[in-house]
Amino acid sequence: MSDQTHIPTGHDLAPGEEEQHSVGERILGYVVGLVLALLLTATSFFIAGTDLVWQPSIPVALIVLAIAQMGVHLVFFLHITTGPDNTNNVLALAFGLLVVFLVVGGTVWIMSHLNGNMPPMDQIMRMRT
Amino acid sequence: MLGKLDWSAIPFDQPIPLVAGAVVLVAILAVLIWVVVKGHLPYLWDEWITSVDHKRIGVMYILLASVMLLRGGSDAIMMRIQQAVAYQSQGYLPPEHYNQIFSAHGTIMIFFVAMPFVIGLMNLVVPLQLGVRDVAFPTLNSVGFWLTATGALLVNISLVVGEFARTGWLAFPPLSGLSYSPGVGVDYYAWSLQISGVGTLVAGINLVTTVLKLRTRGMNYLRMPMFCWTTLASNLLIVSAFPILTATLAMLLLDRYLGFHFFTNEAGGNVMMFMNLIWAWGHPEVYILVLPAFGIFSEVVSTFSGKALFGYRSMVLATMAICVVSFMVWLHHFFTMGAGPDVNAIFGIASMIIAIPTGVKIYNWLFTMYGGRIRFATPMLWSVGFMVTFIIGGLTGVLVAVPPADFMLHNSMFLVAHFHNVIIGGVLFGAFAGFEYWFPKAFGFRLDERWGKAAFWFTFTGFYVTFMPLYIAGMLGMTRRLQHYDVAAWRPWMIVAAIGMAVLSIGVICQIMQLVVSIRNREALRDRTGDPWDGRSLEWATSSPPPVFNFAFHPDVRGEDAYWDMKTRAQQQSFEHDVPEYQDIEMPRNSPTGFICAFFASIMGFALIWHIWWMVILGGLGAFATFVVFAWRDHDEYVIPAEEVARIDRINLEERRSLVSMAGAV
Ligand code: HEM
Ligand SMILES: [Cu+2]
Repeated sequence: MSDQTHIPTGHDLAPGEEEQHSVGERILGYVVGLVLALLLTATSFFIAGTDLVWQPSIPVALIVLAIAQMGVHLVFFLHITTGPDNTNNVLALAFGLLVVFLVVGGTVWIMSHLNGNMPPMDQIMRMRT
Repeated sequence: MLGKLDWSAIPFDQPIPLVAGAVVLVAILAVLIWVVVKGHLPYLWDEWITSVDHKRIGVMYILLASVMLLRGGSDAIMMRIQQAVAYQSQGYLPPEHYNQIFSAHGTIMIFFVAMPFVIGLMNLVVPLQLGVRDVAFPTLNSVGFWLTATGALLVNISLVVGEFARTGWLAFPPLSGLSYSPGVGVDYYAWSLQISGVGTLVAGINLVTTVLKLRTRGMNYLRMPMFCWTTLASNLLIVSAFPILTATLAMLLLDRYLGFHFFTNEAGGNVMMFMNLIWAWGHPEVYILVLPAFGIFSEVVSTFSGKALFGYRSMVLATMAICVVSFMVWLHHFFTMGAGPDVNAIFGIASMIIAIPTGVKIYNWLFTMYGGRIRFATPMLWSVGFMVTFIIGGLTGVLVAVPPADFMLHNSMFLVAHFHNVIIGGVLFGAFAGFEYWFPKAFGFRLDERWGKAAFWFTFTGFYVTFMPLYIAGMLGMTRRLQHYDVAAWRPWMIVAAIGMAVLSIGVICQIMQLVVSIRNREALRDRTGDPWDGRSLEWATSSPPPVFNFAFHPDVRGEDAYWDMKTRAQQQSFEHDVPEYQDIEMPRNSPTGFICAFFASIMGFALIWHIWWMVILGGLGAFATFVVFAWRDHDEYVIPAEEVARIDRINLEERRSLVSMAGAV
C-alpha cells in the first residue's frame, strides 16, 4: 500500500482491477450488469403495482430490490471486489454507508419527533383564524 | 425573448450598489485593457487560465478568495456602520437593502472566501508534501476552480442586475419560497451555489484520490504530514456532505420553478425538512473549513518550534474522529424547532463530544511548543493567536450546545459572536498563516515580516474589539440581523463593534501593503534554496517556486518529517552522493476545458435565474460539447526531456549545497 507512486500503465484499468481483461470479457461484464439492473428495475415496478403478493410485504420487497440494485452497480459498474488493492474502495464504501445511515436514520428520527410534537394541521389552521 | 430580464432589473434608484458595481466594472476593464495592450494575454492564457498545474490552480483559488474577501468585507463594514447608527432611526440602509447585504456577506464569506482559500492551499501544497508531480485529475481540478469562479461571478452580477436573496445565507423556506420571495434574489443564491457546489465536489474528489492514490515511495499513511491528513478528512467530508446541499437546493429550486411542494406551507410540504437537510450539510461544512486550518497550524507550529509534532498519532486519530462525529451533531442548529428533550439531549451531548478531539489537538500544539526553540515569525503569530481565540470560540460553542442555554441564545448576537469567533479565529487565521508560510514556496520570495506582524496585531486586536461586544449584546437580548433597534443598552456595544471593524480594516490594509512592499523588494527577499523556514516536510525539498514537475526524482521517504530527515542525513554524509540518472518526465498538457465549461455554465446560470430558456439550452449544450471534445482528445501529455530536467534540478542542488556547507562551516 505504501508504494503507490504514479506508474503510467498505458491502458485504462478500473480502480482495484489488477490485470487487463480482454475487451470481450469486459463487455460481457457490463452486459451482465446491465441486464441484472434492468431486471431488478422491472421487478420493482411490477411488485409495486401487483396484487399477487401479500400487500404489507411490498415495501420490504422494494427495499430488498433497491439494495440488490446498489449491489449490482457496485460490483459490475464500480468494480468493488475483494482484491488486495481494494481496501481503499471498500473503506470508502463503508464510510459512505456510515454517513448515509447517520443522515437518513437521524433525519427519520428527528422528523418523527418533530411531527409528534406538532399540533395537528387542522388545529394550527383553527389557531390562525 | 429575455425572460424576466428588462431595464427595471438595474437598480437605478440605489446609488450604493450601482456606484460600487461601476467602480468594479471600470477596474476590471482597466485591467483587461492593460493586459491586452501590454501583450500579456497569451501569457495569461497559456500559463494560468488553461493551466492544469496544481500550484497555479491553487494560487488562482487563493486570488479568488482574496478578492471576494474584500467584497465580503465591504458588506461587513456597511452592516457594522448601519447597526452603530440605526438606534431609534432607520440608519442609512433601507431594510430590503440591508437584508441583501447580510445574506450576501454570509454566502460570500463561506462559499467564496473560506472555501476557495482552504481548497487553494490544499491544491498548492498537498501534492508537494506527498512528493508527487501532480494531482490525480489535473483537468478536472481546473474545471472545479472555474466553476467556483462562475458562482462568485453570478453573486457579484446580482449586485447590479436584479437583486440578491434577502433570506440569510441559508435561505430558509417558507421565506425563500416563491410566495415570500418572488424576485430573482433567491435564484441568484441557489444557482450560484449549485454551480460552485459542483466545482467544490470535483475538487473534493480530486484531493481525496490524490491523497489515497498518489504518494511517493515510502510515504505510507502514518508518515504523511498532518496537513495531508486533515486534507483527507476535510475532502471526505466534502464528498459526503456537498451532495446533501445540492439535493436540498435542487428541491428548493423545484419548488420555485416547477411548483413542487417539498418545502412549502401548503400541499403537504414541510419546511422543517429544509432545516434538517441544510444543517446535515451545514455542520460538516464548518469542519470542512476548519480541519485544513488545523493542519496548517500543525505544520507551522512544528516548523517554528523546531520540533516534530507532538502526539502525531493522536492527532491523526482526533482528525478522523472529528470527521465522523461532525456528521452526528447537526440538530444543534435547530434545538428550538421542537424535536423534544430526547432528541435535543442526544445531539447536545454529541456536540459537546466534538470538543474532546479538538482539545486533544490544542494540547498537542502546546506540547509541541513546549521546550522548543520558538521563532515568532508571522505564520507562528497567526497560529498562537488562533490557539487563544479558538479556545474562546470553542467554549461558547459548547455553551450553545446545551439545549436550555441555546433556547436563550439561539439566533442572538451571542451566536453571531460564536461563529465569527471560530471562523475568523480558526479558518481565517489558518488561511493567513498558510498564506504567509507557503507564499515563498509559491512565488520564490518571502513576505515582508514587519508589515505581516502589523497585519496580525491589527487583525487580532480588531477581532476582539469587534466581536466580544457582540457576545454582550447577545446576552442583553439582541437578536441577529436587525436593521434598526430601540434598546438603549445595546447601542454602546454596537459602537464599540464598529470601532473594532475599523481596526480590522487597518489589518487588511497592512496585509495589502505587505504584498506591495514584498513584491517591490522581491530581490532582497528572494528564497534561493527553497527552504526559507528550515522546514520539515517535502514541499521544502524542491526549489521555490517549484518546477512544473515538482521533483526531478520521486523522493524516498524513510519516516515522519521526511525532509528534516533528509537534511540531517545530508549534513552527516554531505550532499555528494551520486545523483541517479535524470529521466524524461511526462506532464499533463494544458487544457481550456475548465475555462470554457465555466463560460457556458455562467451563461446557463444567468439564463436560469432570468428564465431565458433558449439561453439555458445554449449554455447546457456548450458545456456538454466542451466535455465531449475533451473526452475524445488524443494527446493529453507532453514530455520534458531529461536534459531540461537535469538543468533545472542542478541549479537548485547547487544552492542547497552551498547552504549546507555554510551551515557546516558555522
Ligand atoms: C466545540 C465545537 C463547537 C460547538 C460545540 C459548536 C456548537 C454550535 C451550536 C450549538 C450552534 C447553534 C447555535 C444556535 O443556532 O443557537 C453553532 C452555530 C454555528 N457554529 Fe458552532 N460549534 C463549534 C465549533 C464551530 C466551528 C469550528 C465552526 C466553524 C469553523 C462553527 C461554526 C458555526 C456556525 C457558522 C454557526 C451558525 C450558523 C448560523 O446559524 O447561521 N462552530 N455552533
Ligand atoms: Cu454546528
